[in-house]
Amino acid sequence: MQLKKRKAGRVGRAISAISATLLIATAASCENSAVAQDFYGLDKAGRDNFGPGIAYTEFDGALLIYQEAGGRVQAIEPTANLAIHGARGQQLTLGAVADAVSGATPNGAVPSDRTQTFVTPLKPQGSSTTVTSASGGSTVIQLPPTPGQVASAALGRQYTTAANTLPMDKGFRDHRAALTAGWSQPLGWISEIGGGGGFSREEDYQSITANVRAAKNFNSDNTTISLDLNGEFDSSFPFGGVPTGLSAMNAQFKPVTTRHKTQLGFVLGLTEVMTRNWLMALNYSYDSQKGYQTDPYRVISVVDPVSGEPTSTLYENRPERRKTQSLFWDNKLAFGPTVTELSYRYFTDDWGISSHTVEASERINLAKAWYVEPNVRFYHQNAANFYRAFLVSNAALPAFASSDTRLSRFDAITYGAKIGFRVSGRSELYVRADYYTQSGDGHPANAIGQLRRQDLFAGTKAAIVQVGYQWKFH
Amino acid sequence: MEIPLAATLARADRDYLGAFQAMATPCEVRVETDDAELARRVTGAVEAEARRIEAKFSRYRDDSIIGRINAAGGRRTAVDAETAHLLDFAGQCFDLSGGMFDITSGALRRAWRFDGSDRIPGATDIKALQKLVGWNRVSWRDCCLTLPAGMEIDLGGLAKEYAVDRALAVARAITAAPVLVNFGGDLVVSGPRTGGARWHVAIASVEKDDALAGMLELASGALATSGDARRFLLKDGVRYSHILNPRTGWPVQDAPRSVTVAALSCVEAGMVATLAMLQGKRAEKFLKREGARAWCIR
Repeated sequence: MQLKKRKAGRVGRAISAISATLLIATAASCENSAVAQDFYGLDKAGRDNFGPGIAYTEFDGALLIYQEAGGRVQAIEPTANLAIHGARGQQLTLGAVADAVSGATPNGAVPSDRTQTFVTPLKPQGSSTTVTSASGGSTVIQLPPTPGQVASAALGRQYTTAANTLPMDKGFRDHRAALTAGWSQPLGWISEIGGGGGFSREEDYQSITANVRAAKNFNSDNTTISLDLNGEFDSSFPFGGVPTGLSAMNAQFKPVTTRHKTQLGFVLGLTEVMTRNWLMALNYSYDSQKGYQTDPYRVISVVDPVSGEPTSTLYENRPERRKTQSLFWDNKLAFGPTVTELSYRYFTDDWGISSHTVEASERINLAKAWYVEPNVRFYHQNAANFYRAFLVSNAALPAFASSDTRLSRFDAITYGAKIGFRVSGRSELYVRADYYTQSGDGHPANAIGQLRRQDLFAGTKAAIVQVGYQWKFH
Repeated sequence: MEIPLAATLARADRDYLGAFQAMATPCEVRVETDDAELARRVTGAVEAEARRIEAKFSRYRDDSIIGRINAAGGRRTAVDAETAHLLDFAGQCFDLSGGMFDITSGALRRAWRFDGSDRIPGATDIKALQKLVGWNRVSWRDCCLTLPAGMEIDLGGLAKEYAVDRALAVARAITAAPVLVNFGGDLVVSGPRTGGARWHVAIASVEKDDALAGMLELASGALATSGDARRFLLKDGVRYSHILNPRTGWPVQDAPRSVTVAALSCVEAGMVATLAMLQGKRAEKFLKREGARAWCIR
């Protein structure tokens, strides 16, 4: 009698899957009979007892605290994610994020050996973003009246920066809330098809995203090819209106209140089980962005060609189009008691930026229910072709200019570690801490006059701490 | 604890055949090799694993994990990882079968004794016992199982198949030679024989002791059989199989005399065969719908 292969029904498939899970899970705990005496939940193999074909739900809640060195930005961000897995490979994901950001942020101007004064529009009373002179370190000023202007619009906010100090706007405060939802499931010969959307709102920014995804498994599920299409529509409605690029910084309300940005892109992915201990993923992504990409609050100093003293301050200006590409190579290696993850990312865009990221992490199981996962990340990027630390007053204005250090050439290192404790076989408590430092060229060769004595790189140093809880249940 | 081993080893054609008695059933392991010492080691390891599982999961032993759970009298019992995986599996099968496969159905055996006689229990006895049946009544959380007082669990419906799969894993850890493990008709092979030939497996007749109902050829995977060949009640011409429907408290009616299923593992084959039996007269339909490779005897 020849055994013929037939397509299994729902119950048959589920039994097949949970039988395999049972035998794999128990094989690990039976390798050493003494190990089988370990209590469930403290056992290594007990971590995942939800095989394919089993409906279950995963919850992940975390609180993230971000603090930049030098009393700059601080943020508190609670997150909650829920993934509901159906017995037939369906998956519903829901996410919610809120954050509160406050502190001081470099405004983009260069330091000077003299006191500098900056003016911006005054936030109206009653707005939750009102900055008082006490907390913001700024004062309300009366602007010279211009014909036809209402009285309140004639008030501006003024702040000063001491000599030899990086100019910072201390009135930075924002709240953000974001929601995401997604669905995926197998459909016919397609292993996974789905879509999702997201909505995020800040006091001066709004973002709407949508994506669709399809994936196909081949070669006994050892190979997966996937395609994601992403779209995003953003609206920027900065306080005080949208300034004209490279116009002089001032306290007037600008007539244009809202600008938009659209983004379309795709990710092509390949995941391959190379060997029993090695999982590899390769992703290529492409994005095309169109619209307003300038930071409406950021300025750039124009300096005297001899003394290097700032003579005026202009709003920055960035191109409206940007095309980005990246290639991401990820490897997960499980040898012995540790799991190693090694990844590399190459990024390039038509603004002239290219970057390399190398990241490594190692998960080490400690006694009983504890594990530790140190990680390190190295990052290097080249400057955008319109990056300028400052402009010079006797030279022609370029079409685009920004002094944002995130567009400059710099290196960054992140060191971190995660410590996890398995409360039971299905729940885990973790604490993650990271320290991030940027280093760039604070003394470029083209510095003029007093700028040679200033540090022109306003890079960030930040500590990030995250406490979270993961729970799986039927 | 050192478990005393009792297997015998004999040459059978191209194989060495190790045989012993465990789990109230004859057990055998065939190793295709000329190396008697290797066959002895494999047989010893298989027997040790079978006896370990029997001792650990027997409901007849007070010192087994099942004995301790059943004697807890409403208190919770912490269990080890292996037991937890089996309980998870049993719970998943309970869900998948809509409550038809239930490791708590053992209480019904206090009323039903399948000895070939005509003693049918009374409906009121069964009703009373049904309150002690239902996996949904137990609390199974993280590491601990709590049974309401009077309830009991029995992994007999899957322990033998699990032992077969575990025995093969133990054998594979010792040798790459072709191996067949057969515990009372539930069997698994490590892969094809040397040279790619299939294993020949006979399906025993349900009517007569030594007759054969058919031959199967197996290159990989497992076979398991569920049936009531020798365990039944007969009254007024109605044959009551030993398979009880936990939802009614009564034996399943019009079930096939035996169902044999081929699958990747013995646990999987056994569970599909059991669920098919529980379908009664719809057994064949169920097997067809689920795409099982199966043989029914009525």
